[in-house]
Parts: sequence; C-alpha cells; structure tokens
Amino acid sequence: MVATNDRALVGLVIVSHSASIADGVAELVAQVAGPDVAIITAGGGPDGTLGTDGDRVRAALRRADSGAGAVVLVDLGSALLSVRAALAELDGEANLVLADAPLVEGAISAGVTAATGVPLADVVVAAEEARGARKL
Amino acid sequence: MLESSELVRLPGAVALHARPAGAFVRAASSFAATIEVRANGRQANGKSILEILGLGADAGSVLTISASGDDAPAAVAQLAELVAGFS
Repeated sequence: MVATNDRALVGLVIVSHSASIADGVAELVAQVAGPDVAIITAGGGPDGTLGTDGDRVRAALRRADSGAGAVVLVDLGSALLSVRAALAELDGEANLVLADAPLVEGAISAGVTAATGVPLADVVVAAEEARGARKL
Repeated sequence: MLESSELVRLPGAVALHARPAGAFVRAASSFAATIEVRANGRQANGKSILEILGLGADAGSVLTISASGDDAPAAVAQLAELVAGFS
C-alpha cells in the first residue's frame, strides 16, 4: 500500500434514496479523505422525492471513472437494483465495482484508501472491510 | 526488521477525528512498515481509518505510535511530527 502520486485516483459513487444523505456522505468523506478523491453522488428520486432515479444513477456512473476506476456504494433496496441495472447497461464501458459495504463507514474507508493512490481492487477491499467495523 | 516507537501528545484543540485522522492514515499508508497506534487503552492499525477513528482519541491525549519494518524509524518520526503539528 505504498502511494503513487503520478496517476489518477480511484473515484467513489454514492447512491442513496436521499439526496441529503448522498451529499452528506460525500461531504464527510471529502473532509476525511482530502480534496483529491472524486466523489460523485446520485441521491433521491426524479422529482426531489425519496427514491432512486435510474437516469441520475447512470449519469453518475458514466462520470465516475477518471482513469483508475471507481467503487460504487449504495444504501438500500432499490438503490442496489438501480445500480445493478445501470451497470448492466454500461456493460463494461467504465471500470466500476459495486462494494458490499455499509454506506457511511464503507465510503470513508474507501475514500481514505483511494487517496493513497492504490488500485481499485484495494479500494473495494477497504470498503468491504467496513462490514466488520464494530462501534463499541 | 526494524522496530520503532514514540509517544506524542495531540495538541490541545485537536482530536484524532475526521480530517486529522484521515491525514494520519494517508501518511501512514505511504510507508511499507506495519503501523500501530495506541490511545485510551485501545489499539488500532495506523493504516485503517475506521480503526483510527475508533480510538476516540480526544484533544490532548497521548498516542503511542509504533512501527515495524525497514522504514519504521522514518514512519514513526514523520507521523509523530504530523500529530504534534496538527492545528
């Protein structure tokens, strides 16, 4: 895990039923991971409602890979379904991996790890390690 | 295998939370050595943001930074300086 500074960093995509949650997670991750990691959000339904918007998710996924790929984190239920459908449509157009991780802890772990310049696979591992993080 | 360890006190106004914790982990990750931080009777992998945040190290508390590996002395020196300089 030795940093390399001469190439693109892995990005993050945050997908939530709530735009406020997605934006808040992105804000928190940026605070911890620093300004160099690209974080793209797709939060809420089509009309500012709670839900997910397939078009917004697809657009976010298309923008997320700036060369090193991106890890995708979701909150619940239909967010997962929307991301899976969008990934199937993009069909390898971008280097994206859906992480099986809790949204807040996974995003922070992924963001800080991405900032060190490691490859996508290592960032996904960092996100998924958050599953085992105990609070107490 | 080199071992190195140092005690350092967090400055009075800085807890090892969000931004400082992230800066610490990013710096720690630039070394090959394994890095451990102890505070409040807990220990954390210095390269894991969730473990570092889990230390709950408040402003003014003392961290023990230990490293093991070829670049351990440099790692501990740089990380101790980083912590002491947090503002």
